[in-house]
Amino acid sequence: MLRLAAIACFLLLAPTARANAAAIVGKPAPAFDAVDVDGKLVQLDAFKGKYVVLEWVNFGCPFVGKHYGSGNMQELQKKFSERGVVWLSICSSAPGKQGHVTGDEAKELIAEKEAAPTRFLLDPKGIVGKLYGAKTTPHMFVINPKGILVYNGAIDDRPSTKRADIKDAKNYLTAALESSLAGNKVEIAATQPYGCSVKY
Amino acid sequence: MQPYTVVMVSKMRQTAAWLVAAGFLLTWAPACRSGATGGSENIDVALLSESASIQPGRPFRIGLHMKMKDGWHTYWKHPGDAGLPLRIEWTLPPGFTAGPIEWPAPEPIPTGDLMSYGYGHEVLLAVTITPPARVATDSARIGGAFDWLECKEACLAGSAQLDVTLPVRPEPPPRGRSAPLFDRARARLPRMPEGWVLTATAGPRAIELRFQPPSGIRPSGGTFFVEEPLVVEHGAAQGFEPSAGGYRLTLVPAANAANPPQRLTGVLVLNGVDRRKGSAVAVNVVAAPGDPSPAPPQSPKRNWPPVPLYATLVALVGIVVVVALRRRAARP
Repeated sequence: MLRLAAIACFLLLAPTARANAAAIVGKPAPAFDAVDVDGKLVQLDAFKGKYVVLEWVNFGCPFVGKHYGSGNMQELQKKFSERGVVWLSICSSAPGKQGHVTGDEAKELIAEKEAAPTRFLLDPKGIVGKLYGAKTTPHMFVINPKGILVYNGAIDDRPSTKRADIKDAKNYLTAALESSLAGNKVEIAATQPYGCSVKY
Repeated sequence: MQPYTVVMVSKMRQTAAWLVAAGFLLTWAPACRSGATGGSENIDVALLSESASIQPGRPFRIGLHMKMKDGWHTYWKHPGDAGLPLRIEWTLPPGFTAGPIEWPAPEPIPTGDLMSYGYGHEVLLAVTITPPARVATDSARIGGAFDWLECKEACLAGSAQLDVTLPVRPEPPPRGRSAPLFDRARARLPRMPEGWVLTATAGPRAIELRFQPPSGIRPSGGTFFVEEPLVVEHGAAQGFEPSAGGYRLTLVPAANAANPPQRLTGVLVLNGVDRRKGSAVAVNVVAAPGDPSPAPPQSPKRNWPPVPLYATLVALVGIVVVVALRRRAARP
């Protein structure tokens, strides 16, 4: 009885405690596991030793539309995957909210948009999103091979929904990955992300 | 999943509006065409003029009036956690210049743990246009491309091409029909804090804004809307308490800020203060380094019991009931 109560307490309080954790640049990236579009478990720890990009996504959001409609996001996914970077797209839209997808719907969209993430994770309860403090779609994170968060923020410096703005934008994600891959410190490690709010 | 749509004013609708407006003007109005409308399904937009004509060399106001459908909103110059402010690309006659958008004090727009800053219901975003000292034409067309983000639960990009044509006259311009809307918007603009004492201190645990309003202003609470990114956690509760000779408002620093801010800029909006006395003031002060302590958040609506504890109690009662029922059921 007591044990049951203790477990209940833990279960009820645990999400709150986790929600208070945050992804702080320079600190270890919070560990998580989530299922991908095929229902397979993906653990962040399994990618230790590699650079990992986390990309929050919602295909109903016009800011995401800007970066996928122009092919910008797919290009980044392909370019860095080829260089050994693990790319995890994460959808934290809750069921019934804008952008929520089932595994099959996600697979269709990935095919339609020719997206190329390493894995596409489903986070309908928003557990991973809240753990990282993901605020917008897109919201980008970079984790280094030691598991330290080295970038948290916007994809670039042009908060807009216009595709035409991509050409002259400074891409923070590219800068963070290029610096890291070259063994240098990330110059701009934290920015304010821009986009639609994550539909928790 | 909702489709991604960019809402555009259709050419046809615009043409139709112009035809109607033109017919109206020919039969009734003097040579002033103002209020070309357009927008989206969720927001009615119109470009309005405060004055009925233009006097060369005399600045006047043009404003984008946005009327939101229930639950829809647009954003302040700093949108908080998510969103996008209005962007204008003006098309002006030669020699005319446009000033910055005059942003009224925003409203908090919470969605879950996230906090955005913007406007629900209605807003007029005014801009001061300065004509040159000499204008050769007898009318001037002020137009532009307007882009904004509108959100309810979902977000859509909205855009419109709008313009207003006003007669150019030598005499000071009379007030236009939309002037009362401009008066209302002006009352919502943050005021310069004349007669106020404002100081800020920034530390690792909190950013503190101490303020002493002019006598007669006694707020019951307040909200600070920061206007720079990566300064505060927008969604965190703000502390508000009376302190020696004034008030103390505390903010939670942004977890990913590289350094504490050196200045604190934004708008302080006070509760329980008449708008005419100045319920919103512009803040732009040096933030001295220090270690202010966080203050208790201001009177939350549900003070007790806290939600996690409440949920735990409910769950415990539930478990006791289930266990008791099972035991009873297990008895022969």
